[in-house]
Amino acid sequence: MRFLFLIHLQNARQSIKSNRLRSFLTMVGITIGVASITTIMALSAGANKIVSTQVDALGGNIAVVRPGAPTNDAFSQLAGDHQFAASTLTDIDVASIKDIEHVSAVAPLMVIGGAVSGNSDAPANTPIVATTPELQAVSNIQIADGQFLDPNLIASTAVIGPQLSVNLFGTEHSIGQTIRVKGEPFTIIGVMKRTNSPINYNNVDFDNAVLINLESGRALNQGSSHLQQINVQSDSVTHLTSVITTINKTLLRNHLNEVDFAVLSGTQVAQPTSRIFTAIAGVSVAIAAISLIVGGVGIMNIMLVSVAERTREIGIRKALGASNRDIVAQFLIESLVLSIGGGVAGYLLGYAVAFAISTFLTFDPILNWEVAGVAIGVSLIIGTLFGIYPAIRAARRDPISALRQYE
Amino acid sequence: MAKSASPPPVIELRDLHKRFGIGDAEHFAIDGIDLTIQKGEFIAIMGPSGCGKTTLLNVLGLLDNSIEGEYLLNGKPIASLSQRRKAKIRSEEIGFVFQSFNLISRLNVIDNVALPLIYKGMSKLKREKKASKILHDFHLGEREFYMPSQLSGGQMQRVAIARALVNEPSIILADEPTGNLDSHASHIIMEELSDLHQKGNTIIMVTHNPNLTTYASRVITMLDGKVDTDTFRLPLPARESTKKPLGNTTKKKLARKKKDTK
Repeated sequence: MRFLFLIHLQNARQSIKSNRLRSFLTMVGITIGVASITTIMALSAGANKIVSTQVDALGGNIAVVRPGAPTNDAFSQLAGDHQFAASTLTDIDVASIKDIEHVSAVAPLMVIGGAVSGNSDAPANTPIVATTPELQAVSNIQIADGQFLDPNLIASTAVIGPQLSVNLFGTEHSIGQTIRVKGEPFTIIGVMKRTNSPINYNNVDFDNAVLINLESGRALNQGSSHLQQINVQSDSVTHLTSVITTINKTLLRNHLNEVDFAVLSGTQVAQPTSRIFTAIAGVSVAIAAISLIVGGVGIMNIMLVSVAERTREIGIRKALGASNRDIVAQFLIESLVLSIGGGVAGYLLGYAVAFAISTFLTFDPILNWEVAGVAIGVSLIIGTLFGIYPAIRAARRDPISALRQYE
Repeated sequence: MAKSASPPPVIELRDLHKRFGIGDAEHFAIDGIDLTIQKGEFIAIMGPSGCGKTTLLNVLGLLDNSIEGEYLLNGKPIASLSQRRKAKIRSEEIGFVFQSFNLISRLNVIDNVALPLIYKGMSKLKREKKASKILHDFHLGEREFYMPSQLSGGQMQRVAIARALVNEPSIILADEPTGNLDSHASHIIMEELSDLHQKGNTIIMVTHNPNLTTYASRVITMLDGKVDTDTFRLPLPARESTKKPLGNTTKKKLARKKKDTK
């Protein structure tokens, strides 16, 4: 049986070789389908990975509290149902989280929209982040020049991202300059180090952001807080679980038992960011699946032609002692070779495309066995699904009439 | 099965019918044939076109499954055999030689000859060794890697015979093996078949050419799906077994005779 498999493999290679163009065109259908799946999966895995590695890099002792009930539905997130709602997180929540045992730092994030200008105007959607000095520790923000926020200084100070500094003043050295945030003047006391990671669990591109004190933020927001996120750091990794449990309990009590917040840690943190990718990936995979089905139909078509062409050969083989099972195996393996060949080519092509695309993105595609497994698995299924009918048809040929063909 | 002194005949047909068509179009290609073929016979089947010769050969070769009547192969009825089992018998006991050679055109000579060995599950090396050996026996050693289209008709038929023999089958079924060949090539092919006969193979050959019957030990003519005449020719090696088993004296005599001729 083992020999038979090898023989059928040699046989398939031979027959594919003798019909090079036809086999190539058939494979292309599968190649395109598998390539698009591979590209999408590699890129979305890359996007997911980038956030989770950032979380990991922070030491695994970070939990994030976000407003709104936890949801796993990628599409409701896509619709942005919470974007304009008032945040359910309050300053009281921040204060009570601070009091929890083993919590070493708490940094609330309040992102405000508004105009920022220096010597020239900043891009319209420059994030204005009002926060506390603890953010530096929690999110590991590096300062290239100057210092981080300090509430002991005068309130109207700001730390800006290096790219924003370039955009506003034409240089990364802008300490002492004055910027206007929503019309209010702020003095720059620090410029952050370039991170080149616009996708992160804070949902803020720090290279382009203005950081101001929470007090000033409130003042710019009609005196009220509007917290998008509270970053919590526990004093050690082992205490994170208990900290999360306590945060949940405390916040539930604060919110009168209404679950309108979510405490996330580890890979969960990455989810909302990656949800948009998940949703896009889901839609693209569906489209790729359609192209795979079309490719499969192509295989079936070619195999039916091949069976018709080789009717006489089938008759000869049967006369020489091939059983129906041998004939089924021969043609099934041939269609599998076509589909897996296309799949492997598609996998390689998909990665080539993913790497090409990633030069325009801020993250790299991920090479992992899951993508390879899906690529091979999908082509295996397509090959079997669309190859079995022609193979059975071949095996059912009556050897006598098969031998008589074209005589 | 009780052990009898004489082995069962290789092929035994009892009241065999093969029906084609239904209703008004119904007709019998084989219309009641009783036939016993012993091991080592060389049978030539003659008859006009459409008398059922090829159909009979297909039935004998287990290619035709819808028959009425009884067919015993080596004493065992084939009606109860599964498709898979029949394929195995075709693989191990039967060698086919066709009028139109039926080589697979995209395989070279040695691969064509090795084809039956595939279904016995033999490894590639063994297959090629065996195919190469038998091609040498047929003086085709230099043509191993030719494609069938590069061979003459006579060479193709020799390749086809080599393929039929590579499994060492006990029965060879030849359907007009010289039908597409000139008289010279025909002669060579018939000599090959005759040789095989000498070695003790059972050969059943369908032919249109009455000259070729001289090679056969038994000539059967068919007409309208029935056996018309059935003549044994001398020498008749197969008839020994149809008679009573040989006595010890006769056996010794025969053995001595064999030794002398060697």
